[in-house]
Amino acid sequence: MVRSSPVTAAVDRFTTDPDLPLRQGAFQSPLRDERIAAWLGAALGLLFTTCFVTGLFSHLHQHPLSWLPVPARPAGLYRFAQGLHVASGIASLPVLVAKLWVVWPRFLSFPPGRRAADAVERLGVLALVTGGIFMVFSGVANIAQWYPWRFSFTAAHYWTAWITAGALVAHAGAKAPIAVRAMRPRRRSARRPALADADPVLHTSAEGPHDGLDRRGFLRTVAGAAGVLTLTTAGQTLPGLRRLALLAPRDPADRPVNRSARNAGVLEAAAASTYRLRIEGRVARPLTLTLDDILAFPAHSAGLPIACVEGWSYSARWTGPRLRDLLDAAGAAAGAAVNVESLEQRSPYRVAFVNHFQAHDPDTLLATHLDGAPLTPDHGAPVRLIGPDRPGVNQTKWVTRVVVL
Amino acid sequence: MILWGVRGAFHHRLDTRPAQLARFLLGGALAHDLVLAPLVVLAGVALARTVRGRWRAPVQVALFVSATLALFTYPALRGYGRALHNPTSLPHDYAANLAIVIGAVVLAVAAGAIVSANRR
Repeated sequence: MVRSSPVTAAVDRFTTDPDLPLRQGAFQSPLRDERIAAWLGAALGLLFTTCFVTGLFSHLHQHPLSWLPVPARPAGLYRFAQGLHVASGIASLPVLVAKLWVVWPRFLSFPPGRRAADAVERLGVLALVTGGIFMVFSGVANIAQWYPWRFSFTAAHYWTAWITAGALVAHAGAKAPIAVRAMRPRRRSARRPALADADPVLHTSAEGPHDGLDRRGFLRTVAGAAGVLTLTTAGQTLPGLRRLALLAPRDPADRPVNRSARNAGVLEAAAASTYRLRIEGRVARPLTLTLDDILAFPAHSAGLPIACVEGWSYSARWTGPRLRDLLDAAGAAAGAAVNVESLEQRSPYRVAFVNHFQAHDPDTLLATHLDGAPLTPDHGAPVRLIGPDRPGVNQTKWVTRVVVL
Repeated sequence: MILWGVRGAFHHRLDTRPAQLARFLLGGALAHDLVLAPLVVLAGVALARTVRGRWRAPVQVALFVSATLALFTYPALRGYGRALHNPTSLPHDYAANLAIVIGAVVLAVAAGAIVSANRR
């Protein structure tokens, strides 16, 4: 048995000697309690699941599957889903730190496993903890436009989401019986099992008199922290909460943009008199249009949201020719999908795919005006794509080419 | 699902840079275990030694809420994302706004504590 090895003996002594600071039980708090762990776990599971499902929806928008085209309606679906994604992620921050705090002594328990099953569970929990911390950290950093890494945020956030979600399913499955038992409401008179029996590591219970928060107070505090964070950030997408959005990274009243014309390197090309919009690909009559040619098409106005993957959004009135009118003029097939290309050179979002639903939607425009005024360079002048139910990064700015597929 | 994620991270290694991603994954857990958690433990010990009786709960509430607010606002406070040519990114004075929100939380918690103390 490994227990007799000198290393294990030393660690055993280190974690059980009552005079040493790392002894097991040294971090006792009456709030490190099974019921609290179960409730926080359930809340976190719900928030992470919401993030995962809405995240997959956003991924589907940006990496389209031919057999699962996203619909053009409802027009605000992406806005809703991505607002929910970011809000759930923000709200999970206090729940995650509280949950980690409650179960932390378990991470320090030693030896890490007495059976193979313990080691497997620990690996799963390691994946869940590292993945969960990374998902919340990278998401919070991303919406504040902080990129302390060199990998692609979207790729890393997406693939780590699968790892985290898999670990979450395994953890939830393993803990469901304990959690359900712990969360079941009990009559005040009913005798509760000593937690020391159920959990020799946590070893504590929020039962009995003690100073400070009780169980309900602690859970309410975590919920309150999530609530305050939501109230002070959700206004970046919910107009009703706009005035409270003191901590939001964007203010929709500014009509924010993610990439300015200068940062995209298109200031000159977009303003030049040589600007042309070409409609080509599988068309009967390829077109090359000047800005005046574009303005000569019948203008249509649509009230549409622009909804960023980073969770902010605002509604505006966009005006310009319908994409489908331009496609008809070029003689494209009725059900054609298109790629819309920007003047921008170095960006993963230079080209955006518009599926057949969206390309032929009456509200999908090559807009030249925003709220009645000509587009500014930062908003994509001279011409930008705007359509219903699309992520902001796919509402291509500085459009110069439409390729019919 | 886990294997699918690991496979994807390696398959798209130009985008995900698996070695760096792994450092961030483990680094996040280590930052929690070696920095954040000990700080919280120290704060807990300090709190247990200094604040007793019925004031401890409100202090715990105010500290937890303020700490999570500060944690969320940290990147905006540092202003990493203040892109030179995009004034619509991080438009607020986040230090002032964080102070306002924390101040409101502390006031609300204190008011709640006084009301419940009077009721007893």
